[in-house]
Amino acid sequence: MATTVAVAKQPKRGGRWSPWLFALPALVVYVAFLVYPAVSSLWFSLTNWDGLSATYKFVGLDNYFKLPHDPVVITAVRNNLIWTVVTIAVPTVIGLLLAIALNGKVHGKPILRLIFYTPAVLPLVSIASIWGWLYNPQYGAINSFLRLIGLDGLAQPWLGQDSTALWAVMIPAIWLRTGFPMLLYLAALQGIPNELYEAATVDGATKWQQFWHVTMPSLRPAHYIVLALSLIDSFKVFDMIYAMTYGGPGTSTQVMGTWMYFNVFQYYQAGYGTAIAVVITLVAIAVGIPYVRSQTKEA
Amino acid sequence: MTITAPAPVDLPVDTTQSTSPGPKGRRGLVMTFVLVVIALFWISPLALLVITAVRPLADFIGNGPLSWPDQLTWSNFKDAWDIGNFATTYKNSAILAAIKVPLGVLFSAMLGFALAKLRMRFRRTVMFTVFLGLTIPIYITIVPVFIMMRSLGATDSIFGLIGPYLAFGIPFEVLVLQSFFRQIPDEIIEAAKVDGAGDWRVFFTMILPLSVPALVTVAILDAVATWNEFLFALILLNSDAHKTIPVGLLNFQGQFANNNTGLAAGILIAVVPILIAYTLLQRWIVGGLTAGSLKG
Repeated sequence: MATTVAVAKQPKRGGRWSPWLFALPALVVYVAFLVYPAVSSLWFSLTNWDGLSATYKFVGLDNYFKLPHDPVVITAVRNNLIWTVVTIAVPTVIGLLLAIALNGKVHGKPILRLIFYTPAVLPLVSIASIWGWLYNPQYGAINSFLRLIGLDGLAQPWLGQDSTALWAVMIPAIWLRTGFPMLLYLAALQGIPNELYEAATVDGATKWQQFWHVTMPSLRPAHYIVLALSLIDSFKVFDMIYAMTYGGPGTSTQVMGTWMYFNVFQYYQAGYGTAIAVVITLVAIAVGIPYVRSQTKEA
Repeated sequence: MTITAPAPVDLPVDTTQSTSPGPKGRRGLVMTFVLVVIALFWISPLALLVITAVRPLADFIGNGPLSWPDQLTWSNFKDAWDIGNFATTYKNSAILAAIKVPLGVLFSAMLGFALAKLRMRFRRTVMFTVFLGLTIPIYITIVPVFIMMRSLGATDSIFGLIGPYLAFGIPFEVLVLQSFFRQIPDEIIEAAKVDGAGDWRVFFTMILPLSVPALVTVAILDAVATWNEFLFALILLNSDAHKTIPVGLLNFQGQFANNNTGLAAGILIAVVPILIAYTLLQRWIVGGLTAGSLKG
């Protein structure tokens, strides 16, 4: 047994090459299909390639200089910002409220939790289909419901007009994204020791004061994870917009992701489209780095 | 969607206990009632979808979408199945998941093991580079990936999707698995080493069996993500014979725009496997999603 202890104290495990043999398959795939394409997009963004021709020219930063003069880019940036703020704030707040409610004395918690989380597992395209169907101007449930409760005047082509289309696409995104913060907050709430609340009660704190001075500070790690992941996720928006409005009507719901796609695959401006993707990727990486760093720290 | 370190969840600890038993019960009932009402609203899109899918189109148009059906029928499902080409798209999505998920979990587990339990040089650099993948939008890669697949002759084939799907799954899977592996005590690994086991034997006979809960969680989430992926499938697959469920559903949506009941049936057909899998496996998913993410 003495030898076991002696060996256990030696920190050395594995030869010098052994770890790399384990790492190799994942790293090769990761570099070949993610890192390499992402980096070579930087090169394409400096060319005038149309996406089809065998030849193209290096144009330097021309594509990037074009961006601020493209009215659709202005719309897309604005939409990305609105999208990010709303699809982070609303699901986080609703998710927190649901978690607090579900953490109390409530019957049927498992089934309620199941219901609130279900939209999060559905394919984005199917969520887009479901809501496109609900928004149908004539036979959609939403307009039918408004007519049923006597608000006929509010019935309108939700996805078919500039003024409402972006907001109409955000509702299903909120529906989809509330489940995750709810689950995280629920787990976090269950980790808060009861003694904290007892002590606060003894000190005469009201429920409201307990919420602000005990619950919210205890949830700080959960807030951080929810906000970091939501931020990373929100910047990538593509599927939902593409499947529900195709960027329209007109260009009113374009975001950077869809505008990139249309430039590359419809307007044969692969160089310009890639420049759009590079910009949004740099922003996404910048906002994601604090989270990535926190996950890389030694446990 | 990401996690850090697995830990037990679902502890039935109640933090809102008040001292007087009387009002507690009543408050609980009121809160339950409020939550049930919200839950009914929350689930109503899916409920409407089910109700619409089982009624004839004439009944739907005659009575309106919010009415209770006069008649029930299964024919919407049959029409949707045939016209939506679901036999093909199901098969394609299933083959893709069956290849991609085990491969992705194995590769990620191997890398996770190297990061968590082996003395690897540049360990933090590798971790940082891999986890950075979580922030990278798929669409930055589509132009080079499209060119790469075209030169490999792998466009319009589900096999061309496997590489990109693996690459975009790896950051999340490695993040979860390495933090799980890290909780396995070093002592048992050392003991195995003393008995002459090499790294590979330790990995296959100790690490993997001890990590089944984490592996299953990651596999389920990966299967859901694979089943749902849209952008790569959209750009790489052209012919109907090779499409996956999400791309097939999008086409189907166009064809059935005026057939509300058929569209409802088609959407249901596309999501039913996910819903069944989720309902059966929700404890794993919920555990995996919330697990220990609270270390901050």
